[in-house]
Amino acid sequence: MLSLQHISKFYQVGGNKNFVINDISLEVEEGEFISIMGPSGSGKSTLLNIIGMLDEPSTGFHYFVDQPVHQLKEKQRAALYKQYIGFVFQAYHLIDELTVYENIETPLIYQDVKGSERKAMVADMLDRFNIVGKKDLFPAQLSGGQQQLVGIARALIAKPKVLLADEPTGNLNSKQGEEIMELFRKLNKEDGVTIIQVTHSEKNAEYGSRIINLLDGRVESSKKL
Amino acid sequence: MVWDLLVYKPNAIIMFKNYFKIAWRNIVRHKGYSIINISGLSVGIAACLLIFVVLQFEISFNTNFPGYKNIYHFVTSQMQDDGMAYNPGTSPPAIDALRNDFPQVKFAALNSNYGSQLTVGGANSTNSANDRKFTEKVGVFFMEPQFFDIFKTEWLSGNNAVLSQPNMVVIDKSTAIKYFGDWKEVVGKTLKMDNVLTLKVAGVIADAPSNSDFPLKVLVSYITWKQHPKDYGYANSWDNISSNNQIFVQLPANLSVENLTKKFVPFTKKYLEAKGGKTTRVHILQPLNELHFDTRVGNTLGDHLTSKSTLRTLSFIAILIIVMASINFINLSTAQSVGRSKEVGIRKVLGSSRKQLIIQVIGETALIVIFSIILAIGLAEIALPFLKNIANVPEDIGLFNMGSILFLLVTMVVVILLSGIYPALVVSGFKPVLAIKNKITAASIGGIPLRRALVVAQFAIAQLLIIGTLVAVNQMNFVNEADLGFNKNAVLILPGYTDSISLSKLDAFKQQLLQMPGVKGVSFSSDAPSSDNNWGQNFYYNHSDKEFTYPTFLKYGDADYFKTFGMKFAAGHGYEQSDTARAAVVNETFIHKLDIQKAEQAIGKDIKLGSGKWIPIVGVVKDFKTNSLRDAIKPIVITARKKVESQAAVKIETKNLKATVSDIQQTWEATYPEYAYNGYFLDENIAKFYQQENQLALVYKIFAIIAIFISWLGLYGLVSFMAVQRTKEVGVRKVLGASVFSIVFLFSKEFMILILISFVIAMPAAWYMMNKWLQNFAYRIPLTAGVFVLAIVTSSGIAWITVGYKAVKAALVNPVKSLRSE
Ligand SMILES: Nc1ncnc2c1ncn2[C@@H]1O[C@H](COP(=O)(O)OP(=O)(O)O)[C@@H](O)[C@H]1O
Ligand SMILES: [Mg+2]
Repeated sequence: MLSLQHISKFYQVGGNKNFVINDISLEVEEGEFISIMGPSGSGKSTLLNIIGMLDEPSTGFHYFVDQPVHQLKEKQRAALYKQYIGFVFQAYHLIDELTVYENIETPLIYQDVKGSERKAMVADMLDRFNIVGKKDLFPAQLSGGQQQLVGIARALIAKPKVLLADEPTGNLNSKQGEEIMELFRKLNKEDGVTIIQVTHSEKNAEYGSRIINLLDGRVESSKKL
Repeated sequence: MVWDLLVYKPNAIIMFKNYFKIAWRNIVRHKGYSIINISGLSVGIAACLLIFVVLQFEISFNTNFPGYKNIYHFVTSQMQDDGMAYNPGTSPPAIDALRNDFPQVKFAALNSNYGSQLTVGGANSTNSANDRKFTEKVGVFFMEPQFFDIFKTEWLSGNNAVLSQPNMVVIDKSTAIKYFGDWKEVVGKTLKMDNVLTLKVAGVIADAPSNSDFPLKVLVSYITWKQHPKDYGYANSWDNISSNNQIFVQLPANLSVENLTKKFVPFTKKYLEAKGGKTTRVHILQPLNELHFDTRVGNTLGDHLTSKSTLRTLSFIAILIIVMASINFINLSTAQSVGRSKEVGIRKVLGSSRKQLIIQVIGETALIVIFSIILAIGLAEIALPFLKNIANVPEDIGLFNMGSILFLLVTMVVVILLSGIYPALVVSGFKPVLAIKNKITAASIGGIPLRRALVVAQFAIAQLLIIGTLVAVNQMNFVNEADLGFNKNAVLILPGYTDSISLSKLDAFKQQLLQMPGVKGVSFSSDAPSSDNNWGQNFYYNHSDKEFTYPTFLKYGDADYFKTFGMKFAAGHGYEQSDTARAAVVNETFIHKLDIQKAEQAIGKDIKLGSGKWIPIVGVVKDFKTNSLRDAIKPIVITARKKVESQAAVKIETKNLKATVSDIQQTWEATYPEYAYNGYFLDENIAKFYQQENQLALVYKIFAIIAIFISWLGLYGLVSFMAVQRTKEVGVRKVLGASVFSIVFLFSKEFMILILISFVIAMPAAWYMMNKWLQNFAYRIPLTAGVFVLAIVTSSGIAWITVGYKAVKAALVNPVKSLRSE
């Protein structure tokens, strides 16, 4: 599904190259559920952003569904991204000016989904996440857990094959975190969504099928569960 | 990207709805900035719309006549020692000569009358008590029927052939209604003109459009003029050039202007040098569509002339104002875009392309611009009735027509692109990762040099207009208060008539006026000392038959002329009361042109005017302004000639002015029952010389205020934004012990530098522009440092108040609060 080969990312600081990602190679099969761990500043978010094509590596080869991402033009990359990937953030990143309904609907608009179909999909998603009653509220009117549910609903609305989540439970209490993890597990098992999440919690990491530990931009260890 | 919207895609509409929603919510959420943007833009667009309406009206002049491009005005020019002098008129014999020599070309002559009185008889024809009298300032012509072969006009009744008969008159529809109440039954009725002509109404034409220099109201057959040479100054002589006697020409397709103009050279030779002598007379053809703008030739037959430079100044100002409003927009939206970086980042993550983001930002701009335009139309409608104060537009001018709607659409598109593109490119170019992490700062989006440049541009424009205003207002004050060399105050002018009955009543009328307690003096003359009349004549000096290359200008007045107008003598004195020229008074310019050093030396020398008699110079008056202050003082000869001294000048005590004026009017009506009373004050009339300049000064004033308003809005917005951005910095500085003053200084330093830079740009531009404008006046104020200093002080003051207010507010915030909230 996804293959990183000798990927590095560095920032030029003075005359030195400051490596954030240092020669990482990684193969991800369809249907996997990977948890990435590591201390703060070890490059987790950067790696996830590269996988999600939000950021570009400095060197290395990046293949996604057999396409050489490192050779694609911005437009083609955006198309690929739009078709396959959903993103969830620690800080939810909802659009403040849009209601819950509109936030969830937005990716479908960018994907040219027709009106009636779109309505049905959003309604379905609201139903599934039990937030029908909140659909006309603005993000500021929701609790953190509710906002993250909306964030996940929005990430899933376009039926992505890959879900990337950067500390999705970082701002939630443990009960809310657990609910989200259950949701991820269900998505992975029942819908076959490939999930890559960054987390600080050992407990949450164990929902995955593989745990990768990063240190100073390198893979320190990797274990299959 | 815009055309993408035109291709039908169902989702384009949905997307548009989505953008609209966001845009609307953004506008509401950032009310302050939206109000700044919308008010700046709508005031700017309203101002431009009004200017456009004025320009459109002026530029359309005389283009309503079918085939106007082939119509020309036959203009006479003469070489004089200070350059070419142009005269819109010609000599009466020219029309027949032209027809004779150029049979393939259509010519038509007219002679215009200013201030003629038309009398509509009452029911009783022997009693004039019920007569209704109308004085027409413009629009009365002796007109050849051929005029209508060239200028196609709609005839509601009759046709142009009626103008080949003597004592026939054609009137336009609105004049017919004004005189007779109904235009359908006026043919055959009688109209008296100046109590001299009895005319039969023989036709009615449609009203001339307001954008025409041919206000055809009362058209008397041309032959009538020829039959009344004394009453209306007809003299079939080539020596006589009258600006009222004009010829219009329609060229056949196979003849070019250049060709015909070339043939005028042998033409003038043939007719003018036939009697021996030489002529400097040259004829040129002035295209009809330039008539309205040609300040060389001077007055048209209509009520005003507009110089191209005035039109250029107006359009220039309009463009500046729009640019200023757009600058606010760019400045504020780029500054604001920092706050929107997160939204943009998320949208990119959710799959928005750069193109879609650009459309979104431009869409938001469009929404504000469209809203502003709607508001602007409202503002313009409110201001429309006042438009006639700054421009010569008709009272009923409308705001909407194809042209102005197109103008609004073009303005809309231009302003949207001008103010939307840059912020759109900035916003859509945000890197999603940085944007989401809120790592976009005012510094990192760049464009700070650009924003500074824009603020500089704005201040430069505002200063340019401030300087323009100060110079124009000062010059007009100077002009209005200038010492004209005679006393123009409290002088009532009563235009009179030169028919023999009127003239015979003059002496008795004068005695009656002098008996009134409020009247200090009365003089009859051809002309006030300052007027726009020019009566030129060749002359001879000291019994020499040497001809001068320049003419002298004549004013005829009775013995009381000098006293009534308070003129001062440099040498000698006025002359005795006389019916004909027996002695002359000249001005200082006259003797200086003759190289006479001392005024006394001229006293007792003889001069001869044209083919008149030699008469002695008995006095030299100190120079007075002979025309408007646009023109230099002309050499003047003042002498007596009772036949043309029809205009009374009455010097009145300023106490009980109103009562005296009404007494004078009653006396007039008793003495001249057949003439309408048309008295006016000389100083008011002189002020009218400068109508266009006063209007322009007013335009500068209004637009300087608008410019100051818009740049103040922009500055206010930017500073508010800065204050928010720098809350933390200010907090830290205060904790470190900074005083309120030092923080205010921190904020204002940058703006002061920008204002200085803008001044360096504005000053030379303003100097150039206003220096050029001042060249219109022979008498003008110097461009002193004062106005420039005042301009920079004003703009700095405004900046200080704005920046200072915000800075003090920021500086007074408790630092603990502002630091905690970060
Ligand atoms: N624009 C940048 N310039 C320089 N260094 C950066 C930049 N962005 C991120 N970094 C550095 O990259 C490192 C890894 O960051 P990140 O991937 O966010 O770590 P993590 O998510 O594991 O905490 C950090 O040390 C950070 O300082
Ligand atoms: Mg991170």
